[in-house]
Amino acid sequence: MPSNTPLLLVLAISIVIGFLMVIVFRYTSDQKAIGRAKDRLKAHLLAVRLFQDQLPVVMRAYGRILHGTGSYLRLAFTPLLIAILPITFLIVQLDRYFGWLPLQPAQAFLVEARVEDPAALNEASLQLPPELSSSAPAVHVPKDKEVVWRVVAERAGHYDIQIAASGQTVSKQVVVTPGLARVSPVRLKDHFWERLFTSGEPALADNSPVQSIAINYPPREISFAWMEWNWIVLFFVASLVAGFIFKSVLGIQV
Amino acid sequence: MRFIRIRSLGLFLLVCAIAALLPSCHSRKWQGDQKLIILGIDGMDPQLLKKFMVEGKMPNFSALAQKGSFRLLTTSLPPQSPVAWSNLITGMNAGGHGIFDFIHRDPKTLQPYFSASRVEPPKHGIHLGSWVIPIGGGTAEQLRQGKAFWETLDDYGVPNTILLMPSNFPPVKAKGYTLSGMGTPDLRGSYGTFSFYTDDPMTAAGVVEGGQIIPVQVEDSQVTAKLIGPDNTFRRGSPPTLEPFTVSIDPLQPAARFSVQDQKFVLREGEWSDWIHIEFQLIPFIGNVKGICRFYLKQAHPRFELYVSPINIDPADPALPLSTPKRYSRDLAEEVGEFYTQGISEDTKALSAGVFDDKEYLEQAKTVLAEHRQIFDAEFPKFHSGVFFFYFSSLDLNSHMFWRLIDPQHPEYDAALAAQYGSALPEFYQQIDQVLGEVLQRMDSRTTLLVLSDHGFAPYNRSFNLNTWLLNNGYITLKSEPSSDQNEAFATVDWSRTRAYGLGLNGLYLNLKGRERQGIVEPGAASDSLLKEIKEKLLVLRDPQNNQSAITRVDRASEVYQGPYAQQGPDLLVGYNRGYRAGWQTILGNFPADVFENNTNPWSGDHCMDYTLVPGVLLSNRAIDAASPALTDIAPTIFAQFGIPQPGGMMGHSVFSSNR
Repeated sequence: MPSNTPLLLVLAISIVIGFLMVIVFRYTSDQKAIGRAKDRLKAHLLAVRLFQDQLPVVMRAYGRILHGTGSYLRLAFTPLLIAILPITFLIVQLDRYFGWLPLQPAQAFLVEARVEDPAALNEASLQLPPELSSSAPAVHVPKDKEVVWRVVAERAGHYDIQIAASGQTVSKQVVVTPGLARVSPVRLKDHFWERLFTSGEPALADNSPVQSIAINYPPREISFAWMEWNWIVLFFVASLVAGFIFKSVLGIQV
Repeated sequence: MRFIRIRSLGLFLLVCAIAALLPSCHSRKWQGDQKLIILGIDGMDPQLLKKFMVEGKMPNFSALAQKGSFRLLTTSLPPQSPVAWSNLITGMNAGGHGIFDFIHRDPKTLQPYFSASRVEPPKHGIHLGSWVIPIGGGTAEQLRQGKAFWETLDDYGVPNTILLMPSNFPPVKAKGYTLSGMGTPDLRGSYGTFSFYTDDPMTAAGVVEGGQIIPVQVEDSQVTAKLIGPDNTFRRGSPPTLEPFTVSIDPLQPAARFSVQDQKFVLREGEWSDWIHIEFQLIPFIGNVKGICRFYLKQAHPRFELYVSPINIDPADPALPLSTPKRYSRDLAEEVGEFYTQGISEDTKALSAGVFDDKEYLEQAKTVLAEHRQIFDAEFPKFHSGVFFFYFSSLDLNSHMFWRLIDPQHPEYDAALAAQYGSALPEFYQQIDQVLGEVLQRMDSRTTLLVLSDHGFAPYNRSFNLNTWLLNNGYITLKSEPSSDQNEAFATVDWSRTRAYGLGLNGLYLNLKGRERQGIVEPGAASDSLLKEIKEKLLVLRDPQNNQSAITRVDRASEVYQGPYAQQGPDLLVGYNRGYRAGWQTILGNFPADVFENNTNPWSGDHCMDYTLVPGVLLSNRAIDAASPALTDIAPTIFAQFGIPQPGGMMGHSVFSSNR
């Protein structure tokens, strides 16, 4: 995969989302009311400039600007709310692809398992498919109820690793690929919201002796305009820019 | 009408003339297709090279010497790397480029400082509580003077790539690709400060040369400690920045998990980490400075011992300039991975301090060479015309550290260790031979190759403490017993009764009236007479242990240096015999008890001696006409290759010219 593929995808998605946001805004907002609110704001701003020497007029204009801003935000709130929910969902899903770099063959990574019962720590064991191998002794961290394995993949692929503890076995996905792939950095028990936002795998069973299994995928940074960007920041900036362009082209009041 | 036509014609001619002149206003564009490759190999010794060639270990060097030329290359005075490479860079001696030693002194304060570069925080600031708002920026200043040869190449449009060149930090403005080498500091502004964390109560905590021993406690199999970063000039008193890290040691197995900022990794005992990125916070959420370091878990049980390399400037996001163009170090890091950026990358100080044993040091030194070879392998194939220079540090640093394992006469020679690691130095030579092999494969009729070293090598068996000798001979007077604080140069010296002092590896200075703050020696006849007296005494000096001459040469700066900076260096250059060198403490202005001492430091080979005893090497695929070429001939040789007139002030001549 060319190294700039994630950048191009993020930019393309941002442009499409910028366009859709503007369209959604157009059909879910009261365009006339927004136009009027903006016109009134402009008029009050003009009053501030024209009557600088008349303090009561200026103060009245400021008060109306404040009020007008509140009216404008109220008019924009509903369409923004309608847009924000699917976008949040979209970001969570896209973060599985763009938030983390999949592992590479020969790259060491850590498998960290946290157990419920510290007594289970010493008996926790890792079972790996033949393409993966452990490259250091397991490190037990009783203070954190964690056991850590360092693992290396021989070749690319999607693997399931198994962790056995207290007579039960749980599994975790590991993605090793030079391409763009959906990765889940952690598998969790409970923690609904954390699971929603960070995990891409089903929850561990309620009676599982393992609380969580994490893989330390490296976070992805995207090079753009001589800077390193978190993809979400880049997405917001690019979709805003695209939105403003489409708004002007389509004559939509935002 | 006719007038208008004449005026139009005049205007047209004027425009044509300006257009014709325009190209000459821009830098000239070189049209040739010649190639000049220079491999700069620090410390390659002619005697060792010949020996390894005879033993068949250096087939590519043998082939080059056989088909081309092999000469001794006269080194610099004194034969120290920053001086020597500056000679090569500028075509002038120290009088022309102003680098006289690794260590210079400020005559007004007599405090020593590193000669090649200076990194300084902002001079003024506004104090707000414990915070300081700096006025103006800090500076990274290159102290070498004189024009670098690649600056002249740029003037003539000759493309060039100059990689890891010593005495070029921060890199001078250049059109080509340059990467700074020896002289580049670590993030703390030193030549490299390692950290060693241990819970061993027998290890003395505190500052050691080139490092810091930090006591830690293991509680619940966990160690919490702090990485020491650069001084925070935004805080009153400029305390060092600190970043915490945690080590979770397995209660039974010799392995541990490290958590540093948002990074986690596991190391087995005796294992190195990859480069770890660290951000030191100067101002919360606003100002950070980035560095990289490597962790080495020396021991997990029963004692915890952890070495952390000096925090290097991150080439991918350099806090100080490392390259031209600025982005180049980042591109390189993206291509070959992170690499040591501190100028002296081999951690010789950790071996000298006993933090590393030979095996550990060797592994670290091999990593450095491997990184350099990766950079070479990435960049050399991109070279198509002009000049390509690449510097290798490995032979120098490893000759310093492993001489005791190849020389049975050395006081620190250990037959058992020699059997284990005696092959290390020859193997480093062989790796350089492999690099030469890569170059030879790509030679064509348009290519000239120069392989050279800045100096050779010799054993360092005995230390001569110049300041103690000056004290014993009445040239220095102390107010009280010598200070035990080795960090404070000349702490107890009574300058009102001191006539001369030693500083640096070869320098001897007079306490000259009008130059030194409390100078007492009158310039002119009195100083001449004093210099003559000291020189004569040094030259007849004998080592009481073996009755050998310790000093074979003493040069007066006024007789050997030319150029605008000739007055700024030492007054005498002390040239030690093979086997001798200035002692570690005397070079920083201290006074050990004895004039002569056995050198028991693993740093067992050296070259900071009589420059005629440690020449470098010069090999080429072409016939070298010069019978005794010198480092100062290299820049003129480069210019001659491209038909560039030799700039004024240069001392040498092309080594290929019979008209010398």
